[in-house]
Amino acid sequence: MKKILFVSGTVAGVTLFLFVQSHAQQRGQGGGQAPAQSGGRGQGVVVGQFGGKPVVQPLQRGAGYRDTISPTDPAMNGPVPRMHDGHPDLTGPWMGGGSDGDIETDGGLKPGELTSLLLPWAKELRAMREKAIYEEPYIYCLPMSVPRVNPYPWKFAMNYTSKGLQFIYLLHETGDAGAHRVVYMDGRKHPVDPVPTWWGHSIGRWEGDTLVIDTTGYNDKFWFDAVGTPHTEKLHTIERWTRLSYGTLINDFTIDDPGTFTKPIQMRFVARIVKPTIDLMEYICAENNQIGIAGGYLKSGSPGIGGGPPPIGK
Amino acid sequence: MRTKFGIIVAGLGLFCLTVPVAAHHGFDTEYDSAKVIKGTGVVSKVEWTNPHMHVYIDVTDASGKVINYNLELTSPNAIQRLGWNKNDLLAGEKVTFAGHAGRVVESRGALDSLVKVSAPKQEIFKGERPEDLGSK
Repeated sequence: MKKILFVSGTVAGVTLFLFVQSHAQQRGQGGGQAPAQSGGRGQGVVVGQFGGKPVVQPLQRGAGYRDTISPTDPAMNGPVPRMHDGHPDLTGPWMGGGSDGDIETDGGLKPGELTSLLLPWAKELRAMREKAIYEEPYIYCLPMSVPRVNPYPWKFAMNYTSKGLQFIYLLHETGDAGAHRVVYMDGRKHPVDPVPTWWGHSIGRWEGDTLVIDTTGYNDKFWFDAVGTPHTEKLHTIERWTRLSYGTLINDFTIDDPGTFTKPIQMRFVARIVKPTIDLMEYICAENNQIGIAGGYLKSGSPGIGGGPPPIGK
Repeated sequence: MRTKFGIIVAGLGLFCLTVPVAAHHGFDTEYDSAKVIKGTGVVSKVEWTNPHMHVYIDVTDASGKVINYNLELTSPNAIQRLGWNKNDLLAGEKVTFAGHAGRVVESRGALDSLVKVSAPKQEIFKGERPEDLGSK
C-alpha cells in the first residue's frame, strides 16, 4: 500500500511539475519563471502574457479558493467561450479579480509605491484608519465597492435584449457587496453632477475582446482595502476586463482620483473561474453580524450589529 | 505590520475563515490566539446565519455553573459547499469542542474543532462531509 501511495504521489508530483514547465514554455515564459511570485502573496503560476506582462494565478488565495479550478488544472487553459455576437462570455462565476487586504500588494505595485502617491491628508487618514479598524464600513455589511472582492463567488450577468447587449450586471454573493451593480452598455454617458453612490455610475464598451468599464459618481465612504486606503468623490475608475482563457480573467485597473493621489495608478488583478458545480447563494450579511463583541468593542444589540446603523467614521 | 488572518489560520489550523474583522485585520483583533478554550457540553443552538454560523454550547463546570459558549465558524454557504447540512448538528447533542477565546468576552470564541461525543473521530463542519454520515 505504501508503495502504491509513493508511486502515485511521485507520478502526481512529476505530472504537476511537467505541466507547469510545459505550460510556461508554451506561453513563452521559460520553465524557470513558473511558479512565480504574485504581488507579494506567495507562489503562483504564470498562465500567460497580456499587455507585455506575465499573468499570474496565485496557488493559494484562502479557503474560498477551494471552490475554484486549480491554476495547474489543464482545464484552466481551455478556449474562451463566446456569446452569439462573438464577444467573450464573461459570465463566470469568478473568484478574485480585486483586492481585499491591500490594493498595493494585491495590485502588483512595489512596496510603498501607492503610499508614495497619497496626498498628505490621505496618508494621514490611512494611518489613522489602521488603528481604527472597527470604523471600516465593510465590517458592518456595507458595500466593499470597486475593486474590492472577498473570497466568495461573483459573476457578470450579460443582459441581451432585442437590441443586443444593453446591460451587464455584476452580481456578488455577499449582500455586503451590494445586491447588484449595473454597467450600461447602451451608449449612454455619465450623468452630470450625480448624487454620489457606493458603486457610482458605470458605462461599458468593448475594445476588441476587452470589456472596458468606466465609473464615476462614487461616494467617499468605502475603503479601498483593509488598510484603509481612502478616496474622494472625484474618484474615476477604469476596469479593463479581458478573459485570457477559460479559467483566467484579467482586471487591468486604473484609479484616477486627483483629490487623493498625485497621479493615476495602474494595477492588475486576476480572477479565477470557479468550479462548474458552484453558483451564487443567498448571503444576507446583516442577518446576524456579531462583529466587535468578542473583542469588546461593541455589545450585542449595538448600532451596526444586527442591522443597526453603521458607525461610519473617517 | 498587521498579522494577516491567513497566516494565523495556517498556524492555528482554524477554519473560521471569513470573520469580517478577522479576515482583513488579523485574528487577534477579535480573538486571543494564545488562549485556548475547550470543553464538553450540550449544543443549545446552531445558527445557520450570515455572515457566519454560530454554535452555542452549554458547559457545566465542577460547581454546577453553566457557561454558554457562543462559537463562530465561517459562512453557512462555505459549510454547505463542503456538503454539510442542518441535520448534521442539532440542539441537544453532546459535543466536545476546542477553540480560541474572545479577547474581552471569553465565551464568545472562535471554533477550531467540534466532535460529537458519540463519534469522537469525526469533526463536524470541517473538511468535506464524509459520505457515511449521509446514511444515518
